[in-house]
Amino acid sequence: MVLHIALLAGLVLFSALAILARDLIKSAISLAVSSLLLGIIFFRMGAPYAGVFEISVVAGLITVLFILTIALTKTEGDVRESKLARIVFPLAFVVFALVDALVMKGLLARIPMLQSAAPPGTFSDVLWKERTLDLVGQIAVILAGVFAVLALFRKRDHHD
Amino acid sequence: MIFLYIALPLAVAAVLPLVGKISKKALPDLLGNATLAFLLVYTATGAKALLAGGPLVQRLSWFGETVNLQVSVDGFGLFMLLAVQLVSLAVGLFSVNYMDHYGAKANYYALLLVMIAGMNGLILSADLFNVYIFLEVAAVASYALVAYGLEHDELEASFKYLMLSVIASAAILVSIAVLFGMTGGLSFSAVAEGLRSLPSAGVTALCAALFLMGFGLKAALVPFHAWLPDAHPSAPAPISAVLSGLLIKVSGVYALTRIFFNVFGLTPALSQVLMWLGAVSVVVAAFLALGQKDVKRMLAYSSVSQVGYVILGIGLGTPLGVAGGLFHLLNHALAKGLLFLNSGSVQQATGTRNLDEMGGLAKRMPVTAGTTIVGSLSIAGIPPLGGFWSKLLIIMALVQAGEGALAVIAVLASVLTLWYYLILQRKAFFGKLNERWKGVREAPFWMTAATVVLALLVIGVGILFAAVLRTWVNPAVDILTRGF
Repeated sequence: MVLHIALLAGLVLFSALAILARDLIKSAISLAVSSLLLGIIFFRMGAPYAGVFEISVVAGLITVLFILTIALTKTEGDVRESKLARIVFPLAFVVFALVDALVMKGLLARIPMLQSAAPPGTFSDVLWKERTLDLVGQIAVILAGVFAVLALFRKRDHHD
Repeated sequence: MIFLYIALPLAVAAVLPLVGKISKKALPDLLGNATLAFLLVYTATGAKALLAGGPLVQRLSWFGETVNLQVSVDGFGLFMLLAVQLVSLAVGLFSVNYMDHYGAKANYYALLLVMIAGMNGLILSADLFNVYIFLEVAAVASYALVAYGLEHDELEASFKYLMLSVIASAAILVSIAVLFGMTGGLSFSAVAEGLRSLPSAGVTALCAALFLMGFGLKAALVPFHAWLPDAHPSAPAPISAVLSGLLIKVSGVYALTRIFFNVFGLTPALSQVLMWLGAVSVVVAAFLALGQKDVKRMLAYSSVSQVGYVILGIGLGTPLGVAGGLFHLLNHALAKGLLFLNSGSVQQATGTRNLDEMGGLAKRMPVTAGTTIVGSLSIAGIPPLGGFWSKLLIIMALVQAGEGALAVIAVLASVLTLWYYLILQRKAFFGKLNERWKGVREAPFWMTAATVVLALLVIGVGILFAAVLRTWVNPAVDILTRGF
């Protein structure tokens, strides 16, 4: 129970940090940490697949995409961090990636042992056979997101 | 094949950016409008026949294996689909000329089609989580479309809209999660069944309250309306027309009505809450519209007020009230779509949205002025236009149900509506021509054509109101009040 409350408190704390941090990298890492905590909470509550997806996709993949994008788009005029921060944040990121990988490894190994885990096959049955319209909707959301990025980051030379 | 309403716009949207590489304007215009025209013709001809045997549920197979790609349509869904396709096509045609100066037209049509696919998907869903997903599809596309001009105001309005919309989505999602936890189902019928056997009324009330807040925000009912007067005027005119004409109705009014009537069941207490929310929206937004100088802001406040009428009628819950509310939804979609498009024509010709700077534009833009009068008078409830009949039905239903006070409010607010629309007409189109606008010309062909088509529809629906009620509105009322 105590661990649960600590995880929830950490989740709120890092979510708030993700919004409040001025530096985008710090913000992205805070989001990743909060997502990692959420993944662990999912796992502890008996939803291993949700936990694995949360940690691998949100904490892992999306964070990498965020950080790549931030690295590629940063210009000279951005907030300059102190020397310490410049060393600490790459370190923190490496540590975070290691923890992420270890937790993932642990979780994946424990999935078959979980009593509450769904029987094999059920998960994909639910996803592909029962919630198929959701998948169509999710493809549409992704399309909307891609078009939104294309529209919002286009060159403005035609607009008067 | 009702799945086409989702699949076709999505498929076309997916190829449009590639098409845009070959042809920057002509092909995207053609492809976007052909898709919208096809869906409208399909709704007006094919889909009606499909429904002849009662509500239609369609399951599709995927490479020979049956999957739960289940979409369903009934009288209410078909009525909404008609409204969506009608306004969308007019907006598509208007965009041919209007969106030229924004650039990236293929991308614009792609977002518009995704938004329409989202609205169609929401209408065809018979499952709470599907409703949520398609609500988000339409919303994500609309955030980008509001900010499409990329100016400071547009980005700010889009951000504000995004923030409030996220709160709405969160409230809706929490309610869906709680309902799923309590009933074990997500489809409308399973949740309705589960709720009937549930002893705890408190949790049900909490879920209803969360839905009311979430969908109330999406529908921009007072007091959840703060985002709309920023978001709708900032968007390009055709998008304002879709947002005010359709999106607040589909993701707000439709979803609210569908869930409260077909899942929760309309209780007397809920009915009172809905009616008073509607009445407050009608009055407050009408007063706010009166004081506006920005023509699109005035129209946006008017949308809040008119959605109030729709909710007032539907919230009453009697067949006559629901018929009035739904008919007003259609009339308002057509007329407000028309008025926002016309405001775009005026803004493009003069470069301003400030009513005080306009004046006498009817001499230079006679078609725009004429069609604006038609739209304004319909929303204000002047016979024989559609808005008159729908407001009459709502007021008659209120009197019939013994809600005299609300009937009086509805009548008085209608006078206010006429007042601010007369201000709009007088300041923009009548009087002496402002010297600055000597060189102004009527809007280009497709923009004028789209508004003329909508104006003719507004007049046609008013004159043929009995046929429209019988063919399109009554089947929807039957589904809501009798369940078949």
